[in-house]
This record gives sequence, C-alpha cells and structure tokens, in this order.
Amino acid sequence: MLIVLLILLPLICAGLIVFNPKGQAKYIATGATLVSVVIGAIALIQFDFSQAALDQMVVKAPWVPALGLELSLAVDSVSLLLIALTVLLGPICVIGSFTAVKHDVKTYYAWLLVLQSAMIGVFAARDLVLFYICFEFTLIPMYILISLYGSANRKKAATKFFLYTFTGSVIALAGFVYVVWFHASLEGNSWTFDLAALGESARMMEPAQQGWILLALLSGFAVKVPLFPVHTWLPLAHTEAPTAGSVILAGVLLKLGTYGIYKFALPYAPEAVVEYAPLIGVLSVVGIVYAGLICWVQTDVKKLVAYSSVSHLGFCVLGLVAINSVGVAGSVMYMISHGFSTGALFLMIGMMYERYHTRSMREVGGLGSTMPVWSSFMVFFVMASVGLPGLNGFVSEIMCLMGTFQSYGWTGEGGAHPGGTLGVLGPWFAFFAGTGMIVAAMYLLIMTGKMVWGKYREPEGHHEHDELPTDLNAREIGLLIPLAAGCLIFGLYPKPLLNAIEAPVNETVAYYEGLVPVPELEAGMTTVANEGDHDTEHGEGDH
Amino acid sequence: MLTDVMNSLPMLTLAAADGAKGSGPLIESWAAAPGWVLLIPLLPLLAAVLNVGCAIAGVKTKLPAVITIVSLAAAFVLTALAYLSFSGETRIVTGWSWFDLSWGDGPGQSMKADFGFYIDNLSLLWMLFVTGLATLIATYASEYMEHDVGQGYNRFFFAFALFVFSMSCLVLGDNLLMLYLGWEGVGLCSYLLIGYFYKKPEAVAAAKKAFIVNRIGDLGLAIGVFLTFVHFGTLEYAELFSSEQLAGYIDAVKAGNAGDVPLMAQLIPVFLMIGAFGKSAQFPLYVWLPDAMEGPTPVSALIHAATMVTAGVYLIARFYPVFLVSEWALPVVAWIGAFTAFLAATIGMAQFDIKRIMAYSTVSQLGYMFAGLALLSSTGGVFHVLTHAFFKALLFLCCGAVMHGFAGQLDLRKLSGLWSQPGWRVVSVGMLIGCINLAGVPFTAGYFSKDMILAEAFVTQGPGYGLIGWLLLLTAGMTAYYTFRVFFRVFVGPVRYEPGDDDHGSSDHDHEHDQSDAHGHDGHAHTDHAQHPFHPHPPRLAINGVLATLSVLAVLAAGLYFVTPENKGWVGSMLKDSTAAQVYFDGESDHPTRAGLFLIDGDAHHRDHAHADDHADHGEHAAHGSFLGFDPHKVMYYVSAIVGAIGIGFAAWAHGPRGAVSGFLGDRTEAATSRMDAVARSFGPIPKWAEHKWYVDEFYHFLFRAPLWVLSHIFHAIDKLLVDGLVNLIGYVPRAFGRLAQPGQSGVLHGYALSMAGGVAVILLVVMMVAG
Repeated sequence: MLIVLLILLPLICAGLIVFNPKGQAKYIATGATLVSVVIGAIALIQFDFSQAALDQMVVKAPWVPALGLELSLAVDSVSLLLIALTVLLGPICVIGSFTAVKHDVKTYYAWLLVLQSAMIGVFAARDLVLFYICFEFTLIPMYILISLYGSANRKKAATKFFLYTFTGSVIALAGFVYVVWFHASLEGNSWTFDLAALGESARMMEPAQQGWILLALLSGFAVKVPLFPVHTWLPLAHTEAPTAGSVILAGVLLKLGTYGIYKFALPYAPEAVVEYAPLIGVLSVVGIVYAGLICWVQTDVKKLVAYSSVSHLGFCVLGLVAINSVGVAGSVMYMISHGFSTGALFLMIGMMYERYHTRSMREVGGLGSTMPVWSSFMVFFVMASVGLPGLNGFVSEIMCLMGTFQSYGWTGEGGAHPGGTLGVLGPWFAFFAGTGMIVAAMYLLIMTGKMVWGKYREPEGHHEHDELPTDLNAREIGLLIPLAAGCLIFGLYPKPLLNAIEAPVNETVAYYEGLVPVPELEAGMTTVANEGDHDTEHGEGDH
Repeated sequence: MLTDVMNSLPMLTLAAADGAKGSGPLIESWAAAPGWVLLIPLLPLLAAVLNVGCAIAGVKTKLPAVITIVSLAAAFVLTALAYLSFSGETRIVTGWSWFDLSWGDGPGQSMKADFGFYIDNLSLLWMLFVTGLATLIATYASEYMEHDVGQGYNRFFFAFALFVFSMSCLVLGDNLLMLYLGWEGVGLCSYLLIGYFYKKPEAVAAAKKAFIVNRIGDLGLAIGVFLTFVHFGTLEYAELFSSEQLAGYIDAVKAGNAGDVPLMAQLIPVFLMIGAFGKSAQFPLYVWLPDAMEGPTPVSALIHAATMVTAGVYLIARFYPVFLVSEWALPVVAWIGAFTAFLAATIGMAQFDIKRIMAYSTVSQLGYMFAGLALLSSTGGVFHVLTHAFFKALLFLCCGAVMHGFAGQLDLRKLSGLWSQPGWRVVSVGMLIGCINLAGVPFTAGYFSKDMILAEAFVTQGPGYGLIGWLLLLTAGMTAYYTFRVFFRVFVGPVRYEPGDDDHGSSDHDHEHDQSDAHGHDGHAHTDHAQHPFHPHPPRLAINGVLATLSVLAVLAAGLYFVTPENKGWVGSMLKDSTAAQVYFDGESDHPTRAGLFLIDGDAHHRDHAHADDHADHGEHAAHGSFLGFDPHKVMYYVSAIVGAIGIGFAAWAHGPRGAVSGFLGDRTEAATSRMDAVARSFGPIPKWAEHKWYVDEFYHFLFRAPLWVLSHIFHAIDKLLVDGLVNLIGYVPRAFGRLAQPGQSGVLHGYALSMAGGVAVILLVVMMVAG
C-alpha cells in the first residue's frame, strides 16, 4: 500500500494545487514531497532486505482481465532504492524552485508532482503496460517543465527531448509487443503482461530473436541513458531546463534508461547481450571519452555538467554489460550515486545562475572569495563526481571498472585467476574507460578552477538579487546538506546498499551462467602454486 | 597464527597450512586487537571536522592550529605507544566494513575491503615520522600562516589535518582499496593546499596539474588493483601475502624457474609502479612536483617533501614480494629511479628559486629511494625515506622562514649573507645541517642512507646496474654541488638582500588580502621602492623552535644506523619482519642474482651456484658485483665522501664567500653573480636548457595536451554538426511529411497523444488477432 500511496499522494496534491484558488502551490508541493519522504522511509524500514531479490509490497488489482492486464505494483531492493532516490530528490527540487520560478507557479508545481508519481510508477510497475505508460508519461511533465520554465532556447530543447526519446520508446514498444506475443504463442494464447513471466519466455527465444528484442529495447533505453551516439538531446535539454528539471533529469530520468536495461534487456535477452556486449561496451567507452573531452572545451558550465552525465552514464552501461556481479552492482550503485552528485551540481549551478543570470564561465567565476559556502559545496560535489574515494562516486565507478576488467575469460586451467569471471569485455575496456577518470579530473577541475578559484569575475551590469544574499541562504544550504551527507555516507559506508542489491544483482547475473564461452587462449596459463613439481612446468610459463 | 605467516614471509617458508584459507581468523576481534590504534587516523579526521566547525563558526583566532597540533601530537603519541607495545606480530584492526559484495562461496568470489588497518613494523615506521613531522610542521605553520588568521587559516588547517588522515589510511590501510583511498585522499589535500592562494593563477594551475598528473598514475594503480584482484582473488594484504599462489611464485623464483611465474603476476607490479611514479614524482610523471611549490611552504615541507611523495616508495616496500617475483618490475624501477635522480639533479643545478631547487632535489632523492628498493637494498631505500623526511623538511622550513622574512624572496641571486644577519642564526644552522645531510657529508644521516643505496648499486646484478651505480654516484656529486650552491649563496658572503614581491604585506600571503587587482603591479612597484629601507623579520619562537627540534632530529637520525648493526640499523630491524624485508643480509659473500633473490643469512651458503648460471641474462659474471675491483660495501663510505667533497668544493669555489678563505675559496662580492657564470657560459646553451627544465613541460604540452585540446574541439564540432545534425535531418523528414499531411497542425502533444493511441491500438490489434 505504501507504494500506491507514494504514487497517489503527489497526484492528489497536484490536483489540490490546480483547484486551490488560494495559490499556496509551493507549500502544498513541499508538504506532499516531504510526506513522500516519510512514506519512503517507512517503506525502506518495512522492506525485508533479507529477501531483497523478491518482489515485496505487492499490490495487484485486475485491470482488463480479458487481456491479462493487471495493475501490478511491487518492489525489489533495486526498485525500492531508486524510488527512495526519486522521493528524496522531490522536496529538494520543490524547495529549490521557490525563488527561481516566478510565473505559472501552480502549473509548475503540479507537473513536478505528477512527474514524481510517474517516475515512481516506472520503478514499481510489474506489469508491462503499466510500466510503459508510466515510462512514456514522464515525458509530458518534463516537456512542459522545459518548454514553459526553461531558458532562451527552451522550445527547441523541449521538442527535441520529446521527439527523440519518444521515437526511441516506440521502437522499444514494438520489442515489448513481440515479447508479449511470443509468450502468448508459447503458453497457448494465455495472455499476460507480468514482467517476470515475460522474462522467462523471452529467454527461451532463439538468439536471433533475442537480438532483435535487444535492439528494440536498446533503442528505447539507450536514448534515455543516453548512450553515445544518441545523446545529443541531453546537453540541449539540460542546458535549457529549469534547475529542478535538470536535477530530475540527471537524477532520475536518465536512470530510467539504465534501469530499463537492467530490468528488461539483461534478463530478457541474455544470449543477445553476450553477443552484443562488446559493441555496447565500445559505445559506452567511446561515450565516456568523447563526451569527457567535449566537456573540456565547454564554456557553458551547465552544458559541461550535462555532457559529464553522458560520460558518467557510460560507466553505468559498461558495468551493466559486464554482466558479472561486481559490474552490475556497481552500475546499480552508479544509478543512485550519480543522482546525488550530479543532481547536486545542477542544483548548485542553478543557485549561481539565479544570482548572476549567466552560465558562461567566461563571464562569471572566482566565486571562492565572494561565495565561500557555495564554493566549498562545489568543490565537495566536484570531488564526488570525479570519483574521489571516500565519496559515493568512487564506490560505483571502481566497481563498474573492476567488473569490466573481470569480465573476461580469466579462469584458466586450474583456476589460475580466482578473482576473474567469465565475460566478454576485459582489461582493454576497463583501461580505455579508465582514461575517462583522467578526463573527468581534467574537465571538472578546470570547471572548478574557473568557477571557484581565480580572480572574481561577474557579468556586466550585475546587481544583487532582491531576495537572495550574495552567498547561499539557509534554505539553499539545507537543500545541499542531505545530498552532501548522502555522498559522504554512501562513500564511506556503502555496505548496506551493496548488501541490499546483492541478491537481485546475483539473480540477474545468474541468467548468464553457461552462456559465455571460455576463451581458448587462457587454457595454457597455469598456476605455479597448484603444481607440485615445478621442473615439469619449466618452459611452459607464459612469457 | 598471523605471526607465523608474516614472520615466515621473508623466510620463505610461507605456511600453506595456516591462514591461507581465508582472512577469517586473521582479523582480530576488537577486544584482542589494540582497538585504540584506530584513533591514529581518526584523531586527525576529528581535527579536520572540528576545523570545518571553526570555519562555519567564523573563528578568527589560532584555534584551528591548536586543534590540529593537539590532535596530531596525540596521534603521534599513540603511534609511538603502538610501536613500543608492538610485539612483532602483525595486527589487523578493523573499523568497519566498506566494500562487501559476494557472488559465491569460493575463493575470489567476493569483493571485500574493510576500513581496516594493518599494523606491522613497516606501517608503524611510516606512521612514526608522518605523525611526528606533521605535528612539528603544524606548529611551524601556526606561526607561518598567522597573516591569514580568520581568513584561510581554518581552510589551511582543515586540509592539513585531512591530509594526515588520508596519509594514515594510505599507510595503515589493510587492503588495496584503502591504499587507493589514502592515495587519492592525499592527492585531494595536495590539490587544496597547492591551490591555497587561489587568487594566484599559477597556484590554481599548479594544483590542477598536480591532481591530473596524479590521476594518470592512479589509473595505473587502479589497473594494478584490478589485476591483483583477478589474479589473487583478494584485495586484502593479509590474504594476499599469505596466499599459496604468491608462495608458489616465490618458490619458483627461488628454484630458478622464474619463467613459471605467469605473465599476469608479473604485470601487477608494473601497473602498481605507474601509480608510484605518479605520486612520488618520478619520470615521466614528475612534472607536477616542482610546480606544487606554489603552495605555502609548510605544505611543501610536509606533503611535497617528507611524507606524501614517499607513498610510492611505501607502495613498493609493501608489495616487495610481488615486485620480487616479476622479472622486469625492479629493473624498471631501478632505471627510472636512477634516471630521475640524475635528470632532476641537472635541473636543480640550474635553478635560481631556492624552493624549486629543493623541489627538484626531492624528485632526485626520491629517485634514490626507488633505486634503493629496486637494487634490493630495501633497508637503504626506506632508511633514506626516513632521513630525507627529516632533513628535507628542515631544508624546506628554513627556505620558508627566509621566504617569510624577506617578503617572498626566493631568488638566490637576491639574497646573501643571512648567517651574519641578527635573528637568522637558527635558520642558518638548520640550513647547514640540512645541507650537509643532503650533500652526504660523512657521519650525517643522509650520508649513511645514501651510502647503503650506492653500495648496493654496485653489488646487485641486473640489466645495466653497474651503470646505475655510476649514475647515482655522479648524481651524489651534483647533489652536493647544488645544495651548497644554495648555502653559499644565501647564507654566507656579503649581507645583501632584496625583498620579494610581497613587500608591504611582508609575507607571501598577500594574495589573500584584498588586492586581487593590485597584484600584477606589485612586483614592479616594489623593486622601484627597493631603496626605502626594508626590514626582514626574522622568525619567532614557533618557527625557530621547530627548526631547532628538526635540526636535532636530523642529526640524531644518523644514530639509527648504529642501532642493531646486524640488521643494518634500526630500519633494517623494523623491516625484517615486514613485507619489505631485506632479501639478504649476508652481503659479504653472496650477492643476489635473480635465482638467488630471496636468499637470506645462512641460506645463502647453501645456494647452488648452478642455478644462477642457468639464468645467464641475469648475471653472467661472478655473482659478486664490485666497484673497480673493490668490495663496494667497504669502499663506498670513502668513495661517496670523496664525491660529496668534490661537489661541495666546487660549490665553494664557484659560489663561496670572501674573507679569510677568499684567496683559497674564491671571492664573491656580488650576490647576483658568481664564478659559476663563466663556467656556465662555457657549456653553451646547456645550462639554459637545464634552467628551462629541458623543456619537458613544453614537450608534454605539444605531445599530449595540445592534440587532445584540438581533438576535443573536433569532437565538439562533430557532435554539433554530424551526430546532432544527422538526428535533426532524420527529425526533419517526418515533420515535413506531417506538415504536408496536416497543414496548420504541429502541436507536439497532439501528435504524442495520437501516437500513444496508435501504440495502444497496435497492442489491441495484436491481442485480437492472437486471441481471436
């Protein structure tokens, strides 16, 4: 019931906002999101993490029984944690918009709340149609937020965002329809849209069929992630979106793509994933480096962070297609931690923008001397984003890379590599993705160098904001503190999260057992330790 | 049980019986283990947190310095207690579980890393000088940074304390990820502190450069970590060093079957060393360290001379067994170390900024440490880390006192005769003590530690190791020269000085004051005003006290050489129970070739020489290295003393004082010129090239940064025109089609609703068809 409440509460409050003549929109929205946080916390407490892989808090209601349609909601630990992230970002987005949104306030907050419901619906849906409807429905509020409340180029950005992701999703729909049809034909025309049941059938498809399914699903989800080369909507949308829009976009909406890959592509088409993982891996690695280098030459700070999302999400997808526990778990961690650090960066840029009305690093910078509090937080979140150990970014990034590195036919004769797993990626993928860590340091520190350090610069004709002090006010600091605390806690003590996602991740990875061929080239590699007589081995060493 | 395992490591009876099954029994419970050891890293962390509190509360006193000094001193006392109560038994104290993910029950099927601390003699040795020096330097900084009280003071001591915490994690961490945490943590603090004067563009650039260059090394380290995990299935030291696998490799090497060690295992140290080269500023990743001198001098002393930059040496010492089983790892380290030592010394000889000279000297000395470890003198290498920490910190702090007193003046051409200045005697004596140590004057600590490395360079057999010995010896002479060049120029001779750019604020902290615009003009303004009397302000109690203490410690460090001579000094006695145990102690009769690498003491005599001969590429001449026919161990004391004397003598001749000895040592009346100028001219453009650091920075710029920069712009253009352009083109087709079909209607939402309905219709249609 908690999940239903989480979905319904924002919707009801959105209705309240629209029909309340007194126009207390922002207070209603704040209340709704804060209550959601409490409900989310209760859900976390009630969830039985010892059975993390099982769907819990199941709510099922008949919808169109003739077609096997059900309103089916449930969460496993991964879904629940992503819902928790969504719910946590809710009040931050609402409260963060208090001074930024000046016109059509009602519409703004109402759509923000609707968006939250839709996102929670995506994560909680266990019925394909419900999932798809929620998935697509997130587009509408986001479209409106960008096109009504964005900056100069907002119409174009909103339209592009909409059409681009929508086109991808329609192709994904075709894939889903095929899976449903396949299931029905397999089960003698008994229809269902239950995700788990569909997955079981999908895995029985021929590799070629799975390939088509994977292609279809990826066209929907890769656009959303966004994976290179279908990423170009993102920088535009991010740059033009209002702050809260960017935070949600980076924090949650992009994760719909990776969540989709995790929840559908990986379990539905394992054989195809094994076959195409190198290709997806190459795209991810190219995206990491390519987008990272593009960040380096940006002058628009918001665009820089937007491109950095493309680069970062490359790690996330790489971890997923590594299809071993470390990689997939790292990827799930990435979905959560990226929401904190990049969400915070967008929030901070928004705070700066409200004061200086420019995003150009040529016009504004050196804020360390005038905005020490803002600058301290900025350095902190940059470090989280750069993947400094002890903060959240590191945990997920190192695991994605480690998983990628491991994902190779290491296990030679006699188990010479106990830490290796089967897989189709390997050291080179990890190495080239790893260069992304260097590139990330380059562009993020250059951004810090311009925005925080150096001589103070302000745009011409700058005057103090009426409502806002030079440095951050208590409200703004209050928004950043939970995010900062999250970065720190998940960086220093990620164990509870790792334990929570371990079971579902292992379950997903289990679909891949026996699918990955053992490469021949490792067969000659033997371990000295396992050989009793070294002399007989002499000369067989590998060099 | 752990004792057995760890003690046996150097003895190579690596017990397969105990401990090898898993880490379970190795991890002591809180009650059994000295849990208070956790306070050693946590106290500095607490100080950092409190300093953040000070910043929030807007403290305008020296409170953050007091907090930092007290907590660091407490950490030092605890470290000393841990050392005194240490039983020789490696202990693991676990704070909390950090990474924990498993996907099976087998070995290597879980990724585990705790916030755990590995207490053995090696880590204790490092922690002793890290916390000790940090306490002293924090005391020094409390006075040095006093111009910034209420401004950057809180920030400075926050980063300072955080640095000590990170360094503790690096050194004490019981697994590779903890090491990585400390590794990047110290990098962050280094970044924050180099960029401390953040209004100076050079400081910001230097900070950025340090972080990014270090990141390159970190990638190597990360790959080393991945390889270690894949190959050994664990990230924890205790499991790694007691693993049957590693024991097997050691046995193989011992038996002369070095080729049996798989490629993977041989590659691990190669990648780890890339990380070490980044953090410890070795070629080709050394370029960040000289620029790091933009930070406040106490930072240069602590982080960029004494502690952080030795992290790479620590890494190799900690992973010594892993390095030893690799055929190429140690020779590469030896060559890189020796080459870096030489290269940095050539640059150091041609610099005029005394802090830069010390920076290049640090790079050079770090090269010695690497060479020492690589030439199988782990005791010498680590001993040099220890002695260098003291005397180099001392030298930096003396330079800092000069800089502080002369308004940021660091140019040795503009300073002279400080010895005779009232109030500068402590600094001068401290400088002299630092210089004789660095130059390797007999019976100083630096002499003994460098000597051990030099002797081993001629003894150990390896690819071109003889040449390394000569290179290191030559570098020793150059070191003596550039060290005393500074001393003779700045501290003796006629009393002359020009204040630096920071005259009126009379410190290098001016950039902190509100003169962001004025700074550019300052330099010129005050050289014009040089006529008006400038009064250098000599250091006061805190700085002088610290300098005196460090001077005494630097002198006393020599005594460590005579503690337990059978182990080659106190350091040897510390190392022999750790992973960095000297692989042989019987230096007189047997010398290691690859096959005999692990021979120690009595074992050496049982060695079958035939094994050595099997591996012709590792030493075809008699397994005994020699120095011009003499035993290097015996003659190196004299040789290095002579080489050092030549260097000092040359410095005295070229830059020496006038007066009683002027007839003998040469005359120097001007601070700005010296006899060396004529000599330098005779070398043609070479001194100029050396002054410009052989244009390595420019070379890197053109080789890496510029192409990447161009590539980035190309990518940006491609992204806009091609990738996005294609999308726009595709997007245009249906839109054009749509306009054709529905003139006047281009409402996107409308279109969406239509498509949505279409989608549902498709589903329904399929449903009908199949169901029907």
